[in-house]
Amino acid sequence: MSSAIEVDRLSKVFGGLRAVDGASLAVASGERRVLIGPNGAGKTTLFNCIAGTLRPTSGRVLLFGDDISGLPENKRTARGMGRTFQISNVFTDLTVLENLMLSIVGTDARKWIMHRPLSSFTAERAQALDGLERVGLGGRADETVKFLSYGERRQLELALALNVNPKVLRLDEPCAGLSPSERQRFSQLIAALPREITLIMIEHDIDIALALADRVTVLHHGKIILDGTPNEVQTNALVREVYFGRA
Amino acid sequence: MSAVILQAVNGISLAALLFLLASGFTLTFGLMRVVNMAYGAYYLLGGYIGYSIARRTGSFELAMLAGGTTIVVIGFFVDRFLIRPLGGNHLAQVLLTVGVAFVIGEVCLAIWGGDNLRIPTPVWLRGAMELPGGFYYPKYRFGLIVFGTVAAVGLWLLYHKTQIGAVVRAGVDDREMVNATGINVDRLFALVSALASFLAGMAGVVGGAFLTLNPGAEWDILVLALVVVIIGGLGSLEGAILGSIIVGLLDAYGRWLLPEFSYFVLFGPMAILLLFRATGIFGKEH
Amino acid sequence: MRLALIVAGLALAAAMPLLAGEFWVTLLSQIMIFGLLALSADLLLGNAGLFSLCHAAFFAVAAYTTAILQVRYGASTALAAPAGILAGTALSFLFAFAVRTRGVYFILITLAFGYIVWGVAYRWASFTGGDNGVTNVPFPAVGGFRVANATQYYYVVLITVVLCGLAYRLLVTSPFGLTLRGIKSSESRMRSLGYDVGRHLYVAFVLSGLIASIAGVLYVYYNRFINPVAASFPVSVEAVLMAIVGGSGTILGPFLGSGIILVLRNWVSGFFHYYTAVLGIVFIVTVLWAPQGIMGLVARWRAGNRGEGA
Repeated sequence: MSSAIEVDRLSKVFGGLRAVDGASLAVASGERRVLIGPNGAGKTTLFNCIAGTLRPTSGRVLLFGDDISGLPENKRTARGMGRTFQISNVFTDLTVLENLMLSIVGTDARKWIMHRPLSSFTAERAQALDGLERVGLGGRADETVKFLSYGERRQLELALALNVNPKVLRLDEPCAGLSPSERQRFSQLIAALPREITLIMIEHDIDIALALADRVTVLHHGKIILDGTPNEVQTNALVREVYFGRA
Repeated sequence: MSAVILQAVNGISLAALLFLLASGFTLTFGLMRVVNMAYGAYYLLGGYIGYSIARRTGSFELAMLAGGTTIVVIGFFVDRFLIRPLGGNHLAQVLLTVGVAFVIGEVCLAIWGGDNLRIPTPVWLRGAMELPGGFYYPKYRFGLIVFGTVAAVGLWLLYHKTQIGAVVRAGVDDREMVNATGINVDRLFALVSALASFLAGMAGVVGGAFLTLNPGAEWDILVLALVVVIIGGLGSLEGAILGSIIVGLLDAYGRWLLPEFSYFVLFGPMAILLLFRATGIFGKEH
Repeated sequence: MRLALIVAGLALAAAMPLLAGEFWVTLLSQIMIFGLLALSADLLLGNAGLFSLCHAAFFAVAAYTTAILQVRYGASTALAAPAGILAGTALSFLFAFAVRTRGVYFILITLAFGYIVWGVAYRWASFTGGDNGVTNVPFPAVGGFRVANATQYYYVVLITVVLCGLAYRLLVTSPFGLTLRGIKSSESRMRSLGYDVGRHLYVAFVLSGLIASIAGVLYVYYNRFINPVAASFPVSVEAVLMAIVGGSGTILGPFLGSGIILVLRNWVSGFFHYYTAVLGIVFIVTVLWAPQGIMGLVARWRAGNRGEGA
């Protein structure tokens, strides 16, 4: 079985800075992979190259064996990539239901239908409400998003990301900005996601990272310094020095 | 061949005038993110005031000063009390300043009427001079080219070679940073805005001596100035210089070669440029 | 409740000619026509967040095409009217490339595009009649039916506008309509959801050009005359103002705004020569104090009454 995501000797250079330097990794289908590393290690840059918002300077990105290095972001979504932003980016002026409907109809030609009102799309509406239940926002469908708390918006974000039927989901610091109890709840949500979806995450909170991950990839100065199980990472001296030694 | 040269000179003299108007518009946008559609009306009002002053005193220089200063005052009130409450909302700025332009236009109509008025050129610039090719060209328009060039060079030096210019440039690039360094940003804005207003009002007097002042002239000149900043890029002084020359030449040649489609000749290149570079030649993504 | 109000309003509109004189009938026709133009601009503004200043161009091109075909080439309404709509819409296919820009640049480019059309209408005098325009446009006639007077034409306008309004309602409540509001809310999110934002905006622009063209054809049969003023900048900017005064993002708003502006004009110009200054003040006041327009004020009042949060 080919990897869900494979990164092959990827480098990204900004002017004089090597943000990512010859990174290679392979995430198996259904795996939960977490990227960790100190600030400036290149996690977000690597993530953005996988996503398509940045073009790698060299190297390749493969999705289920296909080279997607040259594809723009929206084409990658069509092939099964989904994502949540680091800073919550939902449609604040629209209702929760409208947010979901947009992510549902966005996947195919339904987005071009101009002659039927949205209220007539019962199947899609059912799917949307179901998605809301899954992330714990049942019953909030008609509220305008700007009245939701930050934690609730992140839940909505997750529902939106799931609606493009991703085969691979990239979560960029999903628990950032949440209170401790919200973090608990959210990481439980993530843990409960079906194994048909491969997860690749950036997470700063070590406890959450180690609890959720099947495998952990550690980055430092743009290079991958360790790729292993949570246990291996926890006991590794180099990782300890990178994180807790001289910052 | 001489006709080609003639049109080129026509174009450059218009470019000089357009630069005076466009430079203010582009700098107030670049620095303050304000789109002010009343600049055409400022031009017209400044011109009319210059006309009255010139008739009263016979002094063209005094007219220029009067036109410029009046607009500085009016511009200040418009900025402070009407534009500032809007925040950065460009849509609101456009609508509001169009409203201001309508009001100013009607006031001008009420005071100076609907006839085409022209300001008499200063005595020492009257008459014609001989150009290569053996034909004559109005001295005034040459004087305008010289004046425009001096203004362009002066502004460029001010912008690139002085302390204040450096601060303005920094502000155009990153407004929050300038704020953070403790420089009084409000005063900086007021200064730039005043300069832009002065240029606009003075341009009205300068233009009023070879183009006519009449109801509607404020929109004719504004559109040309807008094309200048679209082509040159909003916020760029170099863009205003280059754009003025391009637009001036396109207008002159367009009117000469294809009078019925001269607006096409003018806007066609602009549209094509925008398809490839949506922010103009020197503009930045904002 | 809302439905009852609308039905009552329509019944009143239908009965208008029996209740009021010819002055009101022609004024109401004018209000509906410009309300439709304002609606076309609001499709972009209220839904997609794009401020277009060139809609008078489509309006005028449609009007001129119909007028020239009927007057100069003796074409029938059945040919001239659709041709006018087609011409205006064809132009919008071209001008829609403006959606490659955003924000200020979009405003300025559409402004310039509008000027091109005005300039051509004004200077290509051999074809458009220049300043004098095209006169003696007859009332429309289709099949055996010929419109004979302003009152009959009022009903033509009323029916067309109501049909357009219904189609517009379907459009904005459809998935496509939602995609426009999504783009207005957050373009980057739309892109990450897989939407080709540029394509959606392009289609929206052409649709709004279509509506403006319909308004233009209605206008030329109403006015029986067309000149370059119809393509001018004040017409485009007034259309946007009407949408905002009435309430941008609603269907009734543009028509309400049109009513307010046109009634104001008729009333004020009766005793004050410098009406345009009054219009300018309306711009300033609306932007500063009532940016959500009449419909916005109504919504806020109702929310206040129900004790909801602001």
